[in-house]
Amino acid sequence: MTNPALRAVQLTKRYGRLTALDTLTLDVMPGEVFGFLGPNGAGKSTTIRLLLGLARPTAGRAEVFGVDAADVAHAHRHLAYMPADVALWPQLTGTEILHLQARTGPGTDSAYRDELVERFALDVSKPARTYSTGNRQKVALIAAFATRAPLLVLDEPTSGLDPLMEREFRTAVRHARDRGQTVFLSSHQLAEVEAVCDRVGILRAGRLVEVSTIGELRGLHRSEVTISYTGSAPDLTEIPGIETVQPAGDGRVRFTLTGAPAPALQALAAADVTALAVREPSLEEIFLDYYGQQEVAR
Amino acid sequence: MTTDTLPASAPVSLTADPAPGRAVTWLAMRQVRRGGLIVTCLAVGMTAVVVASYTQVMADPAAVGGLQALAANPAIRTLFGAPVGLDTAGGFTVWRIGTVFAVLLAAWSILAVTRITRGEEDAGRWDVLLSGRLPLRNVLIRHIAAVMAVAAATTIAITAVLLITGTPAAGALVHGVGTGLLGMFFAAVAALTAQVFPARSPATGTAVAVLGVGLLARMIGDGVNALGWLHWLSPFGLLALSGPYAQDRVLPLVLLAVAGVLVTVAALTAAGRRDVRGGLLEPAAGRPPRTRLLAGVETFAVRRVLRPLTGWSVGVGAYYLLIGLTAVSVTGFLRDNPAMAGQAAQAGFDALGSIAGFAATLFALLAMPAGVFTAVRMGELIAAETDRRLTLLAGRPVTRIRLLGAEIAVTAVAATILVTVAGLLTWAGVTVMGGELAIGAALRGVWNVLPIVLLSLGAAVFAVGWVPRLTGLLGTLPAVGGFLLLVIAESVAAPAWVRDLSPFAHLAPVPLTGPDPTASMIMLAMAAALTIAGLGGYRYRDLNS
Repeated sequence: MTNPALRAVQLTKRYGRLTALDTLTLDVMPGEVFGFLGPNGAGKSTTIRLLLGLARPTAGRAEVFGVDAADVAHAHRHLAYMPADVALWPQLTGTEILHLQARTGPGTDSAYRDELVERFALDVSKPARTYSTGNRQKVALIAAFATRAPLLVLDEPTSGLDPLMEREFRTAVRHARDRGQTVFLSSHQLAEVEAVCDRVGILRAGRLVEVSTIGELRGLHRSEVTISYTGSAPDLTEIPGIETVQPAGDGRVRFTLTGAPAPALQALAAADVTALAVREPSLEEIFLDYYGQQEVAR
Repeated sequence: MTTDTLPASAPVSLTADPAPGRAVTWLAMRQVRRGGLIVTCLAVGMTAVVVASYTQVMADPAAVGGLQALAANPAIRTLFGAPVGLDTAGGFTVWRIGTVFAVLLAAWSILAVTRITRGEEDAGRWDVLLSGRLPLRNVLIRHIAAVMAVAAATTIAITAVLLITGTPAAGALVHGVGTGLLGMFFAAVAALTAQVFPARSPATGTAVAVLGVGLLARMIGDGVNALGWLHWLSPFGLLALSGPYAQDRVLPLVLLAVAGVLVTVAALTAAGRRDVRGGLLEPAAGRPPRTRLLAGVETFAVRRVLRPLTGWSVGVGAYYLLIGLTAVSVTGFLRDNPAMAGQAAQAGFDALGSIAGFAATLFALLAMPAGVFTAVRMGELIAAETDRRLTLLAGRPVTRIRLLGAEIAVTAVAATILVTVAGLLTWAGVTVMGGELAIGAALRGVWNVLPIVLLSLGAAVFAVGWVPRLTGLLGTLPAVGGFLLLVIAESVAAPAWVRDLSPFAHLAPVPLTGPDPTASMIMLAMAAALTIAGLGGYRYRDLNS
């Protein structure tokens, strides 16, 4: 039987009385692109620091391809890591940092690295002190993607990237998956996770509240629709996908929509709709919607 | 289009602090309060202890004679400052610790200013601060003021101690105010270099270089009568010219104050002409890669130490070259004045009669800069960990032991190179002046202090593993703390066991005598134990980032 790329067993981290991570048990299988979601402070970075052996668990254990995460000399041969908040040696240029990372890392495809430098449009001749947040992230991303390590651990990799670079990032993740690399990706950007991940885990206040495939997550993904109309209000009862219909002032109505919009559009066609606005809810809203209730129920 | 204010759905009370600057001043004070407190306590403690020891020394006629003999010697004047008013408790105190404390205060002021201004800016924390209502100049002046307040506190502390112990008021004021003004001057210098350079380390380095040049100018002015005018160009020289308890001159202090104000104004002007996170000197936008020494953790540690090692070698080397150049003069003086040599011997300076003894006495001091160097290097590693530069490397297949081990090994070798440079330059200085000091003797002398240096390194490594916040403090404890302990213990004739706590109490005067292998082995064993304990702690603790 093959070892999971990443395994956490009852992994717990306490800082004094604060429990940053509470008995996390999770397997990420080889070849999988796994999204690790959660609002700020949920414990995503703490988990990654434990998986990398940068911090020691209070209880439980973590493994990388069957190797204890604390044995970094062996465990890190299987992975490349990009931290959430990238800091670089200010006096070294981009090229020099990539060189150092390649020489200390688990093997680098230098041709692919040069290609990534082109694709991410990074000026590697500049010293790192002149780099913006996004450029520092690019350096760390290129260093990670250019390795042939079977596991890539990326902590909020696109928080400082512009939309063009985000697209390049998604391409790079797909290439990595095509090569059979496992990607463990932490984020609080639902769209990014939806675009690239096979499976997601959702962390909330240090606890893993959900592990599901991206398809199941789409079920959670509800849009908020607001319409304006003249004349009589459209009849939205019993329409598949439409829930929580609320009047939103004079001649306006608001409802949530899940799944395919065709039945809703047909129902709306019967009314004289003058304006329509669709807003995708933030991840935070979904959390509040689903997990907030669970928390209360508990 | 109208410019109506946003409608408020509910009554909102907006409070704007009428004095936002106070919050910034408080922030600045917070960042220097611990160091400031230590410096002020040292000012009180050192002054009180030495003043109190005066009557004890004066009760011994031999000691008095020895002191006076040495006071007349140009070489001693060069190294310890011109002794004026030695016949008073105040003058005695100024000579014994005036220069030492002035250098300490100046160095602390420089480090504190660059840390809380350029260091905070480098780390990006000023971006948020400067998006507030206060402009850069205003923020800067509040940070300078916080450090200068510590210098002012030392003025009050020193003056108060000297007044309470009954020394004349004029001398107490001149010495206290002079010391404080010197601290303020170097705070201003550091503030200026922090505006000129866009990074913390060159800003600190340049300000420390100004300190070193100022000290050298005073030493040369003291030692060479024809160059006495150099005093007027050096802050330390001005301090000497003020002559506490002798001439009590105010003019040099006024000049020092004016110089401090001018440099502060220059710093504030420069601050108005630069970008945040930039400096007046902008680094080149790009350069070809230099991948030499980037092949691994070990070579990267070597690469990072090269520049600081060069700077430290230049500074320490210049001082020991000067020692070498003056060695012939001082020993010749004592040889020509056997009576004085005898008196000097009775005063505990017996070794100064020969070049070997003179060199041995001064080589012992070398443990201090070299020990501080090792502590600073370990502190730099902690800084890299805290500001997350180390994270990318820690994510590589590199064990913690290897990461820290490389740093320890490179630092130990660099410290050895540092003391070797000092030894070679002392030898060169002596040889140029026609004195006799074998190169082997000089090297044995400087290598003899390595156990203390490694003890400092061991203490720093221990701190890295267990109390990373205290790395600088613990690392400097054996070398600087040990030396201060010895000086104070001898000044107050403390019990022998207090004195024996200092590693310097067990340092053989090499090359005057052979080394003390037992003492060296004990120190090395302690250094090794501390290092192993530190490595053990580092291996299992969480990285701070």
